[in-house]
Order: sequence, then structure tokens, then C-alpha cells
Amino acid sequence: MSAIDPVTFAVIKSGLDTIVDEMAYTVMRTARSSIVRDVLDYSATICDRNGRILTQAKTVALHLGAVPDGIKALLARHDPSTMDEGDVFVLNDPYEGGMHLPDIFMFRPIFLDGDVFAFSVVIAHHTDVGGRVAGSNAADSTEIFQEGLRIAPMRLFEAGQPNETLFEIIRRNVRLPDLVIGDLESQMATCLVGEREILKLARRYGAQNLYGYFDALIDYGERLTRETIATWPEGSYRFRDFIDGDGMVDKPIPIVCEITVRNGKLDISFDGSSPQVKGAINSTLSFVKSASYLAVRCVLNQEVPNNAGVYRCIDVTAPEASILNPQSPAPVAARALTGYRVVDTVMGALAQIAPERVRAAGEGGNTVVAFGGYESGTRKPFVMVDMINGAWGGGMDRDGVDGVTNPSQNMSNLPVETLEARYPLRVDAYGFRTDSGGAGRHRGGLGLVRKYTLMAQKAVLQVRADRVDHQPYGLDGGKSGAASENYLAADGGELSQMPPKFTQEVAKGDCVLHHQAGAGGYGDPKTRDPDLVAWDVAEGKVSLEAAEHDYGVIFKDRSLEIDHDATRHRRATA
Amino acid sequence: MRIGVDIGGTFTDVVAQGAQRTVALKVSSTPRAPEEAVISGITRALDALEADANHVSGIFHGTTVGSNTLLQRLGSRTGLLTTEGFRDVLEIGRLRTPDMFDLTWEKPAPLVRRRHRLEIIERIDASGQIVQPLDADSVRRAAEFLMHEGVNSVAICFINSYLNAEHEMRAAAILREEFTQLDVSVSAEILPVAREYERTSTVCVNAYVKNELGGYLRRLEESIRGLGITAPVFVSNSNGGVSTIGMAKEQPVFFISSGRSAGAVGAQRLGTKQGRPNLIAFDMGGTTASASLVLEGALIRTDEYEFRAGISTPSRFIKAGGYLMRVPAVDVAEVGSGAGSIAHVDRGGLLEVGPRSAGADPGPACYGKGGVAPTVTDANLVLGYLAADLAGSTLALDADLARAAIEDKIAKPLDVDITEAAYGIRQVVTVNMARAIRAVTVERGVDPRDFDLLAFGGSGPVHACDLARTMGIERIVLPTAPGVFTATGLLGSRQEIYDVTAIGQELDKIDPAALAKEQEGLRKAATGKMLSQGAETGQLAFAYELDMRFVEQDGTLPIEIGDSSDDFDAALVRESFLKAYREIYGFASSDAVEVVNLRLTCYVPEESASVGAAQAKAPNSAEVAERPIYFGPEYGWQTAQIYPLGKQPDNVHGPVVIATDDSTIVIAPDYRIETQEGGALVAHHAPAVRERIAS
Repeated sequence: MSAIDPVTFAVIKSGLDTIVDEMAYTVMRTARSSIVRDVLDYSATICDRNGRILTQAKTVALHLGAVPDGIKALLARHDPSTMDEGDVFVLNDPYEGGMHLPDIFMFRPIFLDGDVFAFSVVIAHHTDVGGRVAGSNAADSTEIFQEGLRIAPMRLFEAGQPNETLFEIIRRNVRLPDLVIGDLESQMATCLVGEREILKLARRYGAQNLYGYFDALIDYGERLTRETIATWPEGSYRFRDFIDGDGMVDKPIPIVCEITVRNGKLDISFDGSSPQVKGAINSTLSFVKSASYLAVRCVLNQEVPNNAGVYRCIDVTAPEASILNPQSPAPVAARALTGYRVVDTVMGALAQIAPERVRAAGEGGNTVVAFGGYESGTRKPFVMVDMINGAWGGGMDRDGVDGVTNPSQNMSNLPVETLEARYPLRVDAYGFRTDSGGAGRHRGGLGLVRKYTLMAQKAVLQVRADRVDHQPYGLDGGKSGAASENYLAADGGELSQMPPKFTQEVAKGDCVLHHQAGAGGYGDPKTRDPDLVAWDVAEGKVSLEAAEHDYGVIFKDRSLEIDHDATRHRRATA
Repeated sequence: MRIGVDIGGTFTDVVAQGAQRTVALKVSSTPRAPEEAVISGITRALDALEADANHVSGIFHGTTVGSNTLLQRLGSRTGLLTTEGFRDVLEIGRLRTPDMFDLTWEKPAPLVRRRHRLEIIERIDASGQIVQPLDADSVRRAAEFLMHEGVNSVAICFINSYLNAEHEMRAAAILREEFTQLDVSVSAEILPVAREYERTSTVCVNAYVKNELGGYLRRLEESIRGLGITAPVFVSNSNGGVSTIGMAKEQPVFFISSGRSAGAVGAQRLGTKQGRPNLIAFDMGGTTASASLVLEGALIRTDEYEFRAGISTPSRFIKAGGYLMRVPAVDVAEVGSGAGSIAHVDRGGLLEVGPRSAGADPGPACYGKGGVAPTVTDANLVLGYLAADLAGSTLALDADLARAAIEDKIAKPLDVDITEAAYGIRQVVTVNMARAIRAVTVERGVDPRDFDLLAFGGSGPVHACDLARTMGIERIVLPTAPGVFTATGLLGSRQEIYDVTAIGQELDKIDPAALAKEQEGLRKAATGKMLSQGAETGQLAFAYELDMRFVEQDGTLPIEIGDSSDDFDAALVRESFLKAYREIYGFASSDAVEVVNLRLTCYVPEESASVGAAQAKAPNSAEVAERPIYFGPEYGWQTAQIYPLGKQPDNVHGPVVIATDDSTIVIAPDYRIETQEGGALVAHHAPAVRERIAS
């Protein structure tokens, strides 16, 4: 090919970003389920013919690091020379390229001049793929066979014709076949949009030329990543964090990571992490890689492109048969939680390497609240899967963020009005949780409160929360964020506290209340500017009591006026 | 006679289109009371045409007051009344961040702080039934607290109010009757559609800018009436159409990007007329520069957008990072670089230009109004790009003052000579403005080299060659009155209003008679409004669309349908939907299709005469002359011929200047300019010239 022209390079780089952006937009516009179209639990990317990620849509980051292993599994079974134009492949088996069963990967080979030129890839979290609990997401399954339908890498379309056998098997094994098929159609439309757009790019710049630019882009990603890592002090850095329990055995589960910085590369080892567990929070190694890549990516500069070049600089290992590299038939449905904790753990180690770029721990991953049942009267089945997000911790030079996606995803929230219009549920509250942000010179973000009342006769409720016993950590003397709490009011009774993870039947009028964990603070809270504390008190984000107790800021007669003398005295003596 | 008025940060442009001739002029803006410049401009235009106030048939206005209020956070202290349990909907937002992996991101501070977001006891469920009656006392208590806190504008947005507005309207009535000092914006009146965050944010923007923009429009209207003009006054909305000033005062959220959108619409129209379907419309004024894309004859539009400092996001998928408005808008990227942008050397020794602007007062140093900070205009004057008489000779520029400012603030700190310093300012501002063009092209994967550059605004044609060269653009199109292009475009704006009604039924179950009745209802209401706004029945046109989707989807596609008198054919409508769906997504389902909304756009079809009708005239001292211009180290100082507009040869190489009374067109040595039929100017990149000079 000809030499790299800087304008063309910039146009192709942004052109790829625009293509995946259009793909992401297409899913949002065409999907049927709330979990996909409103909460945005999906991801889209374009890979080259060798399966290398060229760029990522601003969707669930935790999915995308798993794409290389997914495409490897696909290519192991189906050589590109056996693929036809119009073929579409799907897979979801965690033990052959997938992550957990609800995430169905779809790949469409894109042909140019008769050969496979690239793949459009869309992963969507389906509302239900069968199994023992509606939503196929339960933390308390003990074998993958309880978790739903497993699909090996196979064709959903053959040369443009639907594989009716597979469609029929899917339809018969899921609780909400119309939604699942509708979302598969949405994935299909998205693959087509990706194909159409990348072919435009190929026609504009020539396929050979374009391949030269793809290589240059991936090299560029690697080069920038190595340059940054080369500025980090060489050595090994360890951090340990915990998951409260697996929902079956009430015992803390350690996640341990050690990062070794050497020669512009990172080795991330998870030796010392828990063996695989009985409950469904085991995570495939592909997902652990994904979580590790994204944590590292967060401390790199913004201009580093999100492509396979970044991954070349990072090696991830986890012991066999551990919670981070389980063996079949270990259950994995609720593995997202483990991914979040892997991110927190890697971040904790990175905080020792590049402290100016790492925030104290966030809320610890979304809380999943799922209701499944039948509507009163019509007996129409419903499955509502809601995900509650999130807060960011304080950083060296800035406060945390209240109400924001976990950086592992880029997920949205289910609008209350949409939720109420679609499901027999009412939302009674959605807001910030006062005093939940970890105190610090830079305060951690506030956790959220969300409360639901069931309006149908009965339903199965499943909640997956964490950070009840192990709060989000603070950094550099900052305090932990508040622990998360679950409450249930059944049979017209009072709210009573529930364990972090539970599945149980509920009836009409029962209320579920979740208090999400707050994020950690950064730096000694006694050094926080008293005016900022006063602002937080005026906003109702920090109570007068917490201002005094955690920050040592005293107000005159419970007003908003700071008593500076008393504050100085309190801060000096406390 | 129609009058177009476009207010920029530095100049206020007025174009008056009389029966025989058109007058275009620029007057200095008066930022503290923008209406003053408007009035003096209109007065001068009437004088020039020897016309009376009663000859005016309509005034068409574009203003940046709304966007400035948001950008500079100058709006009212605003309160929000919301349903118990949902105080934080506005601040939580939709959670997403504009970029992945960016832990430095910070959420913009909400327009209504938490302390002023108060919960009202009331609840309506998802079927529109009241499940908790409105507690009027909780409304009064909230209002009293807000008054005590110095709040003067209040937004009301309750959960599920899009299904039943009763509680919102009652709360509004209490405030309007008992708390008359509070200005009230109600979600049900502005945006009765589902999704609490989008609706709340939209109504809060409305409340936030209402006093500022509404107050300005009120004063403007009074001043216009004071001139004896009784004709209707229209304001350009964010979507590039115009609506009456009355609507703009009440619902300013639809008018935040007023003006900028009119320029884009003008560009599209000019492109259509000249057979140029692919244009980058570039507008450079005194304070900002903006760019928008005309792609295959169409503008890029959006049904919701976010306003924030800097530049519009190139993503359709991710918004986040600004103040969301769910209103139709033309997509325009803007940067804070203009002719008045101030240059300075930062502590690290880096030359920076903008975003601070000298504005109209004190203006650039060369205005001699007391400004001492060097601006882009000063650099252009020192380098010969501008003559000493700018903007129709209403201002005499003092080159010595410009030179002194540049020497003092730039050349000395950087230890370079004045020419180098001035040229440095030009280069930096070019790079800054290229960002706006990149945002609508490169960052969307659109290759700018496939487009023509349409340059307008008072300073667009002064910088067009440098910008085009930077972006690799071959052709530059220059309208005949570039400096007042937006104001001229306003004259051709379409008066339009939109209305919507929810249908919420599967297509197959729609009763054609019932649908016809809905259409009739919308048509009658719109006709009434338009007539009250001065339109005549015979003029009105109606376009109906159904928002359609497959069952359970969220996104809809608009499908045009005929008039209510036509027979409604569900099968045909379904076919149109499937066709549109397949075109966009390559794939259509066999599932049931549902109709979400019926939309009506009622408009007065455009008058044809507008684009390019304003023909700038040559400056008074219009003789062919010459002056030296500095074109950078490569070309150095070169003597450029200066032609009054209309006297230039049909085909001439740069360096050459074409002087109009509203702008200065500077053609660099590596460009060649042609005059086309109808007087339009097109410059082509002609690098061969470079070799000729080099030899």
C-alpha cells in the first residue's frame, strides 16, 4: 500500500468509530427488550478478518475484551474459507467462547471480492434464555445446566436463509420468545448496518489500502500503550478485594491480583484468588481479561484508540479451576459481579503505580433486581430485569461523581415511566442516598436508592447485590463508601433487611428497597474545604451530623453558617 | 417588506427586502441590551429604502441570547417541583458518559441545584389514574421556600404527567395565582411525552433561560412596536424554521440555537439552487465560528440534543455531558473562535486565541474604543487582509493601535517580529475553527475532501482559503453577500408549527375514521394558531406523519401519510414503513407494527426570492486598488489587487481581494476565483500557481 496519509488515517480512525456508533444506535432503535433498548446492556464492534478488534462502540466495555476469545472459538469450528456471504453465527456457551448464557454473541462475516474481509460483532444481553429462574441470571444456581440454553458457535443464518432448527429450539426454550427473537433481529440489523458502512469505507479508500490503515491503527494503539507503561516504575504491585459471598455459602471470596510492570508491558496474575465457587458468580477467563484490559485502559490517555493493540501489551493469567477460570459445569450466570470486583482489584493495584489517575472504588458494580411472573388478568408472562448504577470515587484532584455508570459499562437506567408502562410494577423512589459517599478531601459519589412495589398477584424476585460486608475502598486516607443494603416488606409488613443475594416469591403490594453502596473518598476528610462540606449539607448530600463527625465541620445553631473557630478546634483535636 | 435580523456577539446584521431593492447592513451589537442594535439597524434600513414602518410585513429574527445564557450560566435561579421520591431525576440523568475509559469526566452541574428541587405529594400511575391526589399545601410550602431562597423561575415535572396533566396544571395554577413573582414552566405544556429525565431536563432548560430570553424578546417587541411597526415578529427556532415571538417567549427551549440554524438552512437552500448537494457550511462571526453539513442536499437534524461549552458531540448514540433538550434541531458544531477572539501568550509560552472575545465593546484594539488586547481582527489588519474601513465604512480601523497591541502582548513575549506574531494568531485561529469542521466531518468518518466549503459570516471569507487548504478542500463557494448571509437566510425561513397527539395502537387495529378525526383536530388547532399569528388560510400547508415501530421497540420512524380526506390504507402504510425500515437497517421483521404518534407540521410554503437576493454592494470608495498582504513564510508579502464586488475579472488567480460592504473576500496565491452566472463566486485550489511563483 501507499504511505500513511495523516488525514486519511484520521478519517479512517474516526470512520470506524462512527460505524460502531451507528451500530450501537441501531441496537437502541430496533431492540425490543428493556434490558437492551433502555438499559443498553449490549455492545458492538468491528473486527478484521483475523478477529482483531478495530474499534469499540461506547457500549458495555466489559463485553468487548471477551470478543477475541469468542471469535477464536468461532474460527476454531468454522474456517473462514467455509463461510458464505449471508452467513450469521451465534454463540453463548461460556465454555466455548461465551461469557454467560444471556449474552448471545452474533458475528457476521463481511465479504469483499469473494473473501472474508471483516466481521461485524454484536453482543446483547437477552432478557431470558430459559433455565430455572426467569431472567437466567440467578446467583444461586449450582450447575450451568440450570442456567438456560447453551449454544455452541453455529449458524443462525446460512447464506441468508434462517436456520429454522436453531430458531425453533431457541423459541421453545426461553420464557419470552418474541422478545428474544426480536432482539436477535435487532442484532442482525446492526450487523448489516456495520457491513454496509464498512464496505463504504472500503470502496472509498480501497480494500488493500484500508488493511494497511487497520494495521497502522492497531500498531498505533500498541505504541501509545507501551509509551505510557514505559513511564511507570517497574516492579510488582499487589491488591486484594472481596466479594461478600456467592449466595450459597456465606463466606467472603478473595480476589487477588499482582501487576508486574516490566519492559513496557504488564503481567497481571490472579494467583491467590478463590477457587471456583458453588454459586453462579464464577467468571470465564475471557471475562477476566476483559475486566483487566478495561481497568488498564482507564489509566491510559484518552487518545489511545480502543483496539487490539492495547491488549498486546497486557498478559492476564488466573489459576485453573479458580473463580476467575472455572471448569465446566460451574455456574456463571451472575459473573458480572466478579468482573466488577476484578476491575476494583486491578484498580487498587494501579493506584500504587499511577495514583494521579485512579479514583477510590466506585459502587462495586450494578445491583440487579429482577421480577418474573405473569400479569394479573391476561396471564401474560413478564420478566423485568433492572440494573442499578452507580457512583465514582474521589480522586487525587477531584470529587467523586454522584449517579453515573460503572466505568466497566456505559449503561443507562430504565426510565421510571417506561418501567411502569411495561411491567406490573411501580417505582416509589429513585434518588441519591444521603451520607453514602465515602468521606475524604475529595468526597466519594453518593449511592442510589430505588424502591419498587409489585402490582401483579405474584412474582419471583431475584436480587444480586454486593458490598454489604466489604465496602468500596477509599484511597490515601479517604473513607470507604457506605455499605449496600437490601430491604423487603412482605405481606403488608414493615421493611426488613435481606441478604446481599436472594431469590424469593413475592406478592402484590410487596415492596423491595435497595440502598446502593456509595463510592470511596480520597484523602483525609478533615482536610476537605469546609465550604464544600457546607455546600453538600445545603444540598442534602451530607447530613449535619456527618459533616461534624466525618469532616469535623461545625455549624452555628444547626444553620448553614460554618463556625470556623469550632471547626478549627475540632479538626485539630480529633 | 420583510426584514431579517441576526444578532451576533460583535455585529448585528439587518437585511431589508423591499419591492425594488434590498438593503443589507451591519451595526455594532449592544450586548447589554441587544435590542438597541436591532432597532438602530431597522431604522437605518428603513431610511435607506425610504420606507415607512407600515411597509414592513414581517420581521424575522435570529438570536444567540438563549445559547449565551446557557453557555455562560446566566439564567434565572431556578426551582423544580417534582413527584415525591424523584427529586434527583434531573441530576442522575441517564448515567452514561460521553467517552469510555475516561475517569477524569465530571458531570455538568445541574441547572437546578438539589436544594431547589422539591418533592410534591401526588402520584399518577402508568395508566393515567390518580393514585395519590395532589397535596396543594405541599405545593404552597415548596413555593414559599423557593421564594425565600430567591428563586424566580420554576419548572414543574411530575411522573407520568404525559398521560394525565391534571396535577401539573393544578400546581401551575396555584403558583400562577398565588405566587405571581414566579415564572412557571410546565412539562405538560412543553413536551407531553414519556421519559421523566428527558422531559424534566427540557422543562428545566426552559425555566432557566425564560427570564433572560423572554425578557429580551419582550423588550425587543416593545421597541419594534415603538417604531410603529405592527407586522408580526418571528424568531428562528433551533430546527431552522420560524415561529412567532409569543411562542418564543413562552417556550424558549425551542429557540436555543436560533440564528445558527438559520445559517445552515440558508446554506442548504443555496446548495440546492447552485446544484451543490454536498457542502460544509462555515460561518465565522465576531465571537464564534460554526459548521454544519449539507449531505446530498439535506441538513443533519436531530430530535434531541445537548448544549454545552465547546463543541457538539459527533456521536448519535452517546450524548451526555450537557443540558439535554428533547426538541428538534439542526446539528451545528460551534467553537469559541471569531474575529474578536483575543490572543494571548500563556504561562508556558504558548500562543492561544479565544475563547474570550473582545466583542463589540470595547472590540479589537484597532477599533480605538479602548480595547488593548490583540484580536484576530487586529492580526488581519496588520497583515493586510482587512482594509482600514471595515463593515461598510461604518468603522475606521486604526492599524497603529493593532500593531501596538500585537507587539506588546504577543511579539515581545514570544520574541518574534510583529508580522510573525500576527500570522501566528491567524494560524492558531484557523486550527481552532477547523475543529468545528472536523466535528461535522472527520469525526463522523466523513471525508471533508469530498465537499465544497461554503464560507459566510463577516469573517468567513477572510479565512476561507486557509481553512480549505488545512482540510484539503478543493472548492470554496462564496455567497454574494457573505456577511449578512444568515440574516438573508432568515428572510426565506418557513413559518411552521408542530403538533403531536398520541395514538398508541397497532396499525391493523386503527379505525380510519377515528384517525381522520384526529387529523382534523390537529389541523383545526394549528390553523387557529397560524391565523392568529397573521397567516392566511389559503397559504397554509399541512404535512402528517405517523411515528411507527415494531411492537415493543422504542425508536420510531416517521412515515408520511396523506390528508384526512384521503382513504387510509393500513396495508400501504405498513409497506411504506417496512420499506423505510429496510433502507435503514437492511432487515425487517414480520411482527406487528404499531403507531405511536400522529404528527402535524403546519407551515406557510417558502417564498422563493430569498437566497442570495441580498446583493452586497461595493464599498463607497470603490476603485480598483492594491495593497500588500502577508501570506505566510512560503509566499511572504505579496501585492494583491483589490476589486470592488462586481468589478473583478471573471477568472483570476490570487492573491486578490474582493471587497463588499459586509465582508472581505481574500483569495490566497494558491487559489483561483471564478465569477459564475448570477454573480456567485467559486474559488478553486490551484497549486500550480505556487510553482509559477516559486520559479
